[in-house]
Amino acid sequence: MITVDRLTKRYGGFTAVDDVSFEVGPGQVTGFLGPNGAGKTTAMRIMAGLTPATSGTATVLGRPYASLPNPGRYVGTLLDASAQHAGRTGREVLNLGAVFMGVDRNRVEEMLDLVGLTGKEAGRRVRNYSLGMRQRLGIANALLGDPEVLILDEPANGLDPAGIRWMRDLLRGYAERGGTVLLSSHLLNEIERVADEIIVIGHGRIVAQGTKDELLAGVGTFVRSVDDAALARALEGATVSASVLATGGLLVEAEPVDVGRVAAAAGLALVELRAGDSRGLEEMFLELTSDTAREEVAA
Amino acid sequence: MSTTTTHPVPGMPDPSTTARSPHAESPLPAVAATPPPIPGERPTRGVSFGRLVHVELRKMLDTRAGRWLVIGVGAAIATALVILFFVDGGQHPFGSYLQATTMPMAIILPVVGILAVTSEWSQRTGLVTFTMEPRRIRVGWAKFAASMLVGIAAFALAIGLAALAHQAAITFQGITPGWSIGGLVVAGAGLYVLLGLAQGVGFGMLFKNTPAAIVTYFALPTAWGILSSLVTWLDTAARWLNLDRTMNPLFLGKALTGEQWAQLATSVGVWVVLPLVVGMWRLSRAEVK
Repeated sequence: MITVDRLTKRYGGFTAVDDVSFEVGPGQVTGFLGPNGAGKTTAMRIMAGLTPATSGTATVLGRPYASLPNPGRYVGTLLDASAQHAGRTGREVLNLGAVFMGVDRNRVEEMLDLVGLTGKEAGRRVRNYSLGMRQRLGIANALLGDPEVLILDEPANGLDPAGIRWMRDLLRGYAERGGTVLLSSHLLNEIERVADEIIVIGHGRIVAQGTKDELLAGVGTFVRSVDDAALARALEGATVSASVLATGGLLVEAEPVDVGRVAAAAGLALVELRAGDSRGLEEMFLELTSDTAREEVAA
Repeated sequence: MSTTTTHPVPGMPDPSTTARSPHAESPLPAVAATPPPIPGERPTRGVSFGRLVHVELRKMLDTRAGRWLVIGVGAAIATALVILFFVDGGQHPFGSYLQATTMPMAIILPVVGILAVTSEWSQRTGLVTFTMEPRRIRVGWAKFAASMLVGIAAFALAIGLAALAHQAAITFQGITPGWSIGGLVVAGAGLYVLLGLAQGVGFGMLFKNTPAAIVTYFALPTAWGILSSLVTWLDTAARWLNLDRTMNPLFLGKALTGEQWAQLATSVGVWVVLPLVVGMWRLSRAEVK
């Protein structure tokens, strides 16, 4: 369980995190979605006690992160897979974690198995790891203390589609056991594939949050008939708002069955009738990313 | 006609297709297993200081940089001892052998103290370290304690190696034994090693950056020494503030006067205690990125 309440972080005149509030509950995977520079990483670093907040609070399991005893046994974090000593071997990274948290050394081998790093690979220095291998090592490190909460920043970066699927299964299994998972991504389809709940952040503010089904649910009804213009008039007559799409067909703010009735009454044959596309989230997200892209060009 | 091409042996796998590049990556498991739980209750007590020191000690030695530093210290000591063993037929008192083993060590070991701190920032391992122990001051003191342990172990080794070399010179070169050494000289040499390490830790915390800490650690006292030899009033200040000068009486084997102790304490305060205190404060407040 993670509770973030009116969290704000300012750097001089720049507000990285702006009055953000949300809860991440146990038993599900929550995706933290936003373009690069939206404030995801800063918010996660505050949750893990690495960055002090300007105002507001973040608690994990009901208390500030810094007051957790032996926090590695409660919260597993992966904030940057590249943040490992290049001259240390993968196994040694986990060994250090095991000593730190006081967990059995066998756990290291179990975690290496879990993420599929072979003994030979574990004996190699991190400088020779690909980004995907670093992510796997980071996930192994996050899971080392058998935590109740996982906070993962862009864990799917550098993983191929099979890797993303593997991660989804892993995190789902973890959540089903009652774990709390918060993971961030700047890619909508990555989050779509992994998360149950989605929090969308842009320019430091939360712009949407809800279950994936809610956010991805279609809006209205898409309909195409032999005469779209006539159908639009008929819908207008029935006081149903409809817009003609440039690509053909109409987007109607009504249930498909009602649209069908209007068409039948008007005697218009339908070519296509279905729930509208789930364009809301995607469009909102594209808008956010294009904003950021513009700023990058301007800067 | 000789053939230079190799043909796959029938029935054997073709080496060209089975050989994997050294950096080939093993695939992820086909099925994602659920991580096994750790039996028992979760801890209600924080990470003990002893465990923090254990981790920090290990971190000093488990990287390539750490290992090379140890090898460097070893090589420097060996070189110094070999030179001493042959120059003038090895006819030097034990104190000289001890100096030969301690000096190279005292020069290189502070880098171990610096790296112990700065690598958390330069290698960004602080992201992991400070999430596992958010009370960063404890991590800072664990680094300090681990550095002191390294210093004590290294100094014990320096005494042992110096004794071994002196004994070897007695046995093989037939020199007159010269074992007598003032307790204060030994203590002074040990203190010299430990203060260097402590200063390294302090500078590491102060700068959070390896090159800046190392350059400042080595350049500042030298610059200070040159300046104070040129400017008269600086020379007066140097008697109180130049660590090399205030430590010097320790190696002469005579009891220090009250003023000398005060001078030593002042310089240690400025060069070792102050960087440590300010550095700890910075460590506890810095944003870990």
